[in-house]
Amino acid sequence: MSADYWGFVAAAYGLAVVVLGGYWRALVRRERRLDSLAQRRTP
Amino acid sequence: MGCHVGAPHVMSRALGWLAVLVLGAGLVMGLGVAPREVIQGNVQRIMYLHVPAVIVAQYVAFAIVFMASIVYLWRRSETADAVAHASAEVGVVFMGVAIATGAIWGKPTWGTWWTWDARLTSAAVLFVMFLGYLLLRGMIEDRERAARYSAVVGIFASLNVVFVHFSVYWWRTLHQPPSLLRPGPATVSPSIRWALLVNIVAFALLYVYLVTKRVRLLRREAELGA
Repeated sequence: MSADYWGFVAAAYGLAVVVLGGYWRALVRRERRLDSLAQRRTP
Repeated sequence: MGCHVGAPHVMSRALGWLAVLVLGAGLVMGLGVAPREVIQGNVQRIMYLHVPAVIVAQYVAFAIVFMASIVYLWRRSETADAVAHASAEVGVVFMGVAIATGAIWGKPTWGTWWTWDARLTSAAVLFVMFLGYLLLRGMIEDRERAARYSAVVGIFASLNVVFVHFSVYWWRTLHQPPSLLRPGPATVSPSIRWALLVNIVAFALLYVYLVTKRVRLLRREAELGA
């Protein structure tokens, strides 16, 4: 029976959370920037 | 999540929460419910992350880039261009996750993070081609010209999915052949298959949520000239 390598499992899941969460946060930040730009342009 | 409160925004929010819910279920299925694999041990649980990311990137995201790019060249539809752009961007993120988790899985099972095997190399080429697609879009200021050129690149880059899929049959590879997307009976047990299917649905929902959000942002950027 082979070793379990839980550290590799944690690294894979952790990395996915960081990458996917990071992309989502970048979209949210971009949305906020567009909101404030639209507000500034509203007379 | 911004100050927009229209129906599309509420739908997007609901879709986002649904994706989080199914991702949670997928995590429980992959790390808890699915049995420990007999040969590889628990490290095989990386599959519940790696395979859904590959399937959604290659067979959903890049397939949509292919179709939306054809529609753009045919109809000059701005919506088709925005869908292609958003789908390529999310596809690159998912493909990056797939390649990185594959490397993490490869180290304990194959003894190496990376090898120039036909499947890994063709997947890396696909990833780099779509990075190039996104760079091209960013480099050209004229929106119409950027859309036209990137549609052509998007069509050619997407065709590479065929090479990635069949690479395990056409060449001798270290990477195993597909367990799900293959003719004939399934080669994995029902409990593993169910955990995999729940995670594929979760990644597909996350893809739809991120793409719809990105398309909405691209439209607003175009309106505001941002």
